Amino acid sequence: MASSDNTGKWTVIATSAELDLPRPVIPIVLAGEQYVLFRDDEGELGLIGRHCPHRGADLCFGRLEDNGLRCAFHGWHFDRTGQCVEQPAEPIGSTLHTQIKVPMISVRESDGKISALVHEE
Amino acid sequence: MISRQRNDQITRIGPGTDAGAVLRCYWLPAALEDELAHGDKVPVNLLGERLALFHDDKGELLLATRVSNANENSTHYPNAKDIVINTEGPTYPVKIIKGAIFAYLGPDAVPPSLPNLDCFRAPDSHVFSFKGLWECNWLQALEIGIDPAHASFLHRFLEDENPDDSYGKQFRDKTEGANMPITQVLREYPSPDIHVDETDFGLKITALRHMKNELTHVRVTNQIFPAAICIPMSREMIITQWHVPVDDETCYWFTMFTSFDKPVDKKLMREQRLKEHSLPTYAPLKNKSNNYHYDPEEQQKKTFTGMGEDINVHDQWAVEGMGPIQNRTQEHLGRSDVAIIRYRRKLRAAIESVANGRIDELPMRNADVPNITGPLSNDVIADTENWEHISQQADTTRRADCPWDATI
Repeated sequence: MASSDNTGKWTVIATSAELDLPRPVIPIVLAGEQYVLFRDDEGELGLIGRHCPHRGADLCFGRLEDNGLRCAFHGWHFDRTGQCVEQPAEPIGSTLHTQIKVPMISVRESDGKISALVHEE
Repeated sequence: MISRQRNDQITRIGPGTDAGAVLRCYWLPAALEDELAHGDKVPVNLLGERLALFHDDKGELLLATRVSNANENSTHYPNAKDIVINTEGPTYPVKIIKGAIFAYLGPDAVPPSLPNLDCFRAPDSHVFSFKGLWECNWLQALEIGIDPAHASFLHRFLEDENPDDSYGKQFRDKTEGANMPITQVLREYPSPDIHVDETDFGLKITALRHMKNELTHVRVTNQIFPAAICIPMSREMIITQWHVPVDDETCYWFTMFTSFDKPVDKKLMREQRLKEHSLPTYAPLKNKSNNYHYDPEEQQKKTFTGMGEDINVHDQWAVEGMGPIQNRTQEHLGRSDVAIIRYRRKLRAAIESVANGRIDELPMRNADVPNITGPLSNDVIADTENWEHISQQADTTRRADCPWDATI
């Protein structure tokens, strides 16, 4: 990731106040692509693709729980890096989730502003 | 994941498209009989075509092309007096069946016979038809209906309702064979073992939820080729539901609720559903523009989605949220999607048959179609060892006790 800093540009995408909600989850559009920004149980931010990689359901309506975001369609659970950590409808012992990751964009927060590392096309 | 080209092939339905050619080989619900009250001409928007129902000189009901302009909304519903029939355009045959008006849009082929499904066999008193608009492609609407795992999540109730208040609602009954509300079974056993069997009407989908004490919850649902499902709603009723394209990005669900016991309380069923829809387009009042009345607090305490208790709204959110046409180049199907995978294989085979001019190879296009009955749709809790027999037995008993002739 460090090397990609050379080609990326930190861009303000939201204010901390906008996430100051009982359920801190908001949609973000960056370069025409749709993302969801959320704050997990540890207080850290995640900016990940808005559509569940399973069948495309909208993660903006996901359940904010278990230190991540859970899709309301089949319960697939994602952490703030976009890694799928649980697929509860799959057979017990399935490791399919280890292969699944939603696009993730690095974010940082300072002085009440949330910035994302946006790469130039 | 599939390619963009493959996704277009199985989703787009206008004249001249591959999937559109398959759908045009079957009778599809085009309107509700209630809509005939609109006037002497009734607008119908179906498979990307702008049509209208009217009675010809002999008094026969027909579906014909109407004059339209390109800027019309996909569900445009003009007044009867403003509808002009385009006499140059194609005309299609229709049939009124149990409150629904079916149409056959295959211009060059003879209409197939209808299968002897329970919703067609039952007397008028035992079938109630209704429809509703979803703003998405028909295939994602159909696919949620052949995905038995989602009910454990999308429709999860964090607490159970008294089943005595359950009339006319999905999943609110107790299962046959145990005193456990279905909502509790779905919640506690989220990872069903799913079997898919090829049948003469399409696919039989069996979801087994293995419980404690050598018991198994068995839920049998069905895909009726090409665009319908048949699923249990309660011990008394089943749902047969078509997902019919208006155009590529809009569809109607048409449901025939069929009772194996008492006559359907149509007034109550219609009132329950009209409260949630606006006429004349039957567009749901909870929709994308108002976030489906999403309530984060309810999501935390009562329902998995936070969108109320109507499971139809949950399904609508799930499929509309994918976008107008689900981008299947980004999907990752799992074991729980086995019926979806099997269905797409059948659809692609049908596309190929139609392209090669072999329509008689399609499912339900041969002489045996009137002999197709059922299908079995039920929820039971059974001894794990004997689940198949017990599911079959519950169906036989329900049919034997039915006031109309439901025997198969």
